Amino acid sequence: MPETGFPPGNETEVPAGLYIHVPFCSSVCPYCDFAVTIAGEDRRAAWQKALHAEALMYADGGWAFDTVYFGGGTPSILDLERLADVVNGLRSALCINEKARYFLEINPEDASIRRIRAWSDLGFTFASVGLQSPDDGVLHFLGRRHSAEQGRLAIERLKEEHFRTVSADLIFGLPGQGPSDWRRQLEAVIQMGVDHISCYQLTIHDGTIFGRRRRAGVLREAPDDIQADLYELTHAVLADAGFEAYEVSNFARPGHRSKHNQKYWKGVPYLGFGPGAHSFDGTSRRWWNRGKLRLWQRDIEKGRWPLEDAEDLAAADLAFEVLMLGLRQSDGVDLKAVECRWGVAVIDPNRLVIERLVDNGLITVLGTRIQPTMRGMAVADGLAREFEV
Amino acid sequence: MKRIRTFCIIAHIDHGKSTLADRLIQHCGGVEDRDFRDQILDSMDLERERGITIKSNTISLDYEAKDGETYQLNLIDTPGHVDFSHEVRRSLMSCEGALLLVDASQGVEAQTMANMYLAIEHDLEIVPVINKIDLPSADIERVKEEIEEDLGLDSDEVVLCSAKVGTGIQDVLEAIVNQLPPPEGDPDGPLQALIFDAQYDAYRGAVLLVRVMNGEIRAGQRVRFMHTGVEHQVEEVGLLKLERVKSESLSAGAVGYVIAGIKSVSEINIGDTITGVEMPAEEAVPGYRESKPVVFSSVYPMASDEYLELTKALEKLKLNDAALIYEKDSSQALGFGYRCGFLGLLHLEIVQQRLEREYDLSLLLSAPSVRYRVTMTDGEKRWVDNPSIYPDPGSIDTVEEPFIKASVMMPDRYIGTVMELCRDRRGENTSFNYLSVGRVELTSEMPLAEVLFDFYDRLKSTTQGYGSFDYEMLDYRETDAVKVEILVNSEPVDPLAQLVHRDKARPRALHYCDRLKETIPKQQFKIAIQGTIGGNVIARSTINAYRKDVTAKCYGGDISRKRKLLEKQKKGKKRMKMVGNVEIPQAAFIAVLKTDSD
Ligand SMILES: Nc1nc2c(ncn2[C@@H]2O[C@H](COP(=O)(O)OP(=O)(O)OP(=O)(O)O)[C@@H](O)[C@H]2O)c(=O)[nH]1
Ligand code: SF4
Ligand SMILES: [Mg+2]
Repeated sequence: MPETGFPPGNETEVPAGLYIHVPFCSSVCPYCDFAVTIAGEDRRAAWQKALHAEALMYADGGWAFDTVYFGGGTPSILDLERLADVVNGLRSALCINEKARYFLEINPEDASIRRIRAWSDLGFTFASVGLQSPDDGVLHFLGRRHSAEQGRLAIERLKEEHFRTVSADLIFGLPGQGPSDWRRQLEAVIQMGVDHISCYQLTIHDGTIFGRRRRAGVLREAPDDIQADLYELTHAVLADAGFEAYEVSNFARPGHRSKHNQKYWKGVPYLGFGPGAHSFDGTSRRWWNRGKLRLWQRDIEKGRWPLEDAEDLAAADLAFEVLMLGLRQSDGVDLKAVECRWGVAVIDPNRLVIERLVDNGLITVLGTRIQPTMRGMAVADGLAREFEV
Repeated sequence: MKRIRTFCIIAHIDHGKSTLADRLIQHCGGVEDRDFRDQILDSMDLERERGITIKSNTISLDYEAKDGETYQLNLIDTPGHVDFSHEVRRSLMSCEGALLLVDASQGVEAQTMANMYLAIEHDLEIVPVINKIDLPSADIERVKEEIEEDLGLDSDEVVLCSAKVGTGIQDVLEAIVNQLPPPEGDPDGPLQALIFDAQYDAYRGAVLLVRVMNGEIRAGQRVRFMHTGVEHQVEEVGLLKLERVKSESLSAGAVGYVIAGIKSVSEINIGDTITGVEMPAEEAVPGYRESKPVVFSSVYPMASDEYLELTKALEKLKLNDAALIYEKDSSQALGFGYRCGFLGLLHLEIVQQRLEREYDLSLLLSAPSVRYRVTMTDGEKRWVDNPSIYPDPGSIDTVEEPFIKASVMMPDRYIGTVMELCRDRRGENTSFNYLSVGRVELTSEMPLAEVLFDFYDRLKSTTQGYGSFDYEMLDYRETDAVKVEILVNSEPVDPLAQLVHRDKARPRALHYCDRLKETIPKQQFKIAIQGTIGGNVIARSTINAYRKDVTAKCYGGDISRKRKLLEKQKKGKKRMKMVGNVEIPQAAFIAVLKTDSD
């Protein structure tokens, strides 16, 4: 851990992203490995207080924000008053642009018309709905607390209340899932009129209920080839419906990309508050908070920076990160720009690699920019491993 | 000098040499009780892990004999496995006598005989010792008979002991003192010290183990190495206890070490004679017969920038393992390496492991090969032990390969399956005879090449570990050899090329294709693996491209973790060899040498 008495400032002129971690859920899903808790109002009040204190720690750091993202956990679970207090508290403590975009993760069972209106009034315009599936069977398997009908309704209402972007999170690659089933689900969600879709492959983590079932031999992830089929199908179906695969798991209609998430992927500074949240100063340092709610809170109550750990990044690390993340995005990455920004050689040492990846149809080259093809995105980790920085 | 005895302990593998050495050392107070551990002379990790002696080891002891005199005993413990018989041979050079150990229940075995003949060749006085008399299955009378009849030694001179329990140890010591002769030699004559072993010390350079034949060697003296002609100033001499113990000088009859600030290892030849620059000896002590390697393989560093380190490591290891021979080699697929000759498969394995452990290298070995005798159509004869220089089949008249006499000892219930195994390995004249009730020895004349490929593992599994294998070289016999090449995406992987009998070519090629398919990870493109003879494909397999390799989520800006994971995986890739555009992991080169996937 570096010797620092006080949290770092934004080292760039670029407006940063602000992430707020809401670690509360009404119950824990059997596949979830996030640090969440089902604690009630007392703990939430304490969290709110600590969060405000954490924001004040950064007040003098030259941080300005133009995106604010409430993630979790389940941010939509928060009591409306509390949420309003948190948002207003942040606005008073920090420098948040008036035109900043506000993002909210919403679980369908929380999306009553009253609440949706209140969220809208608070300034939220991007709704990321934890739909997971339009199918009751799948929702049941995933241990979710909402029905397919609740999911459909949530999206309908969010659209009616003029959320600028309504996004749905989906999970694929469930045991036994085949292409026709997945196609039907995708089409049903497109029908709902969402503007943005995030598709995540089911991953089974040790230490979760699914993890235990896997150990017991009653649950398995879908085989690699099926996963690949489903992934390719996702791209095909969504492309037909006018969605652009702008990141390996994220698809958007034109104008609906997640401006906040793109900050993580493009080397822009961001601050994260709340347990386990990550921050980046835009030039050389990344740090992250203590993951346990209690520990994070205790540090703050004692006036300490609730740091879990931090990392000083060398130019080569940063260049590699931008490259690795670029290979996950349809925009790709401009290698010349990476060289200029971080002062490390990227093009020359990788000429042969680039040539080979082009030959294999995994990337395309446009001037000094490389972009992954659809097949390339499917193996983005493998692409990044090829590069020497 | 009358009170010096220099001797080695020789025997078949596992008859208890190192354990007897333990007892002798303890009896003479050569080790503090708290420092003692079993087979204390087996100091290498590999020796301790495998429970066998690999290197000869020397220790000097002081023994107070029954006659009231104190004798200096220079004891050399030797390995029993055939692959290390060169170690025995070296040790014998510096001794006047040998303890020939025979296991009281196993009796005289192949290496008992072989080592005894070596000792006789070197004019050593031999004391036969029957060990393990504590065993319930000990049959002292029978073993005595074998010693009389098979070895032609006087059974009245046999000493009985149990190294494990510690009985008869004093008898052994008395026999050493009374039956073995003291060294001869002239302490005032010109210096002649035979270098019989060496090791490399990072701080002091080469540490030479010598037997002084004549004259005296002392610190400060200028000496000359008679074969290489180089001169050095002696820095330190001393005795070999468990550690080195410095002394003023070593004189005729002594066994000890010499340090002379020698950093360049190539200046030293094991078997060379050291003499004084002043008053040099007329001639060198006769050296060793070089042992002939029978198994060959090329060694490459996993990371090509480790070639220089491999070079240095081989030089230093060669100091400590004179039987290892090597010369520069290069491979299209793997770059620079060394072609090495070994005395057997175990020797190969040990050299590989020592290089990896003691010199921290990661290595790739090509498929082991025997040495073929090729007669060309024009009558010229050539030795070929490397598939890469195998002549064009059109210009070959005949090819001969080395045969061995394999002998397997086992409980008789396995005889059927082992005979089957021998037949499968082109064994000829296979026969067996009963050693005792329920125990048989099977012998078979078979090509050495057939033993190189997975014979031990198969034997071990068919006999559930009860079969012991031994062999001796026999002769060369005509064979129908072909060169099988392995191609990965049309690029030949030359270290996988091999010379095999025509009947075995297709199954072997198929085996290689299958194993490579299992061990080469999927890559971003399809990989075709082929086995060919003279360009004709005789086996193939395909590895499909991977289609999905991406973590779904870079969660909430946690990018450090992702980067570190990829960096770690990238490091793993460094342990792979690029052949053309295909990455082949080290494991693949090892897996092809085994039959089963477990
Ligand atoms: N019962 C019994 N076992 C013994 C005796 N001497 C040695 N052994 C056992 O025999 C095994 C082999 O002993 P070692 O001393 O390593 O044999 P070695 O001859 O040095 O073997 P190599 O160096 O590999 O040739 C060990 O398990 C010893 O404990 C003995 O007198 N009685
Ligand atoms: S709602 Fe989301 S964060 Fe909460 S338990 Fe389920 S998966 Fe985890
Ligand atoms: Mg031993």
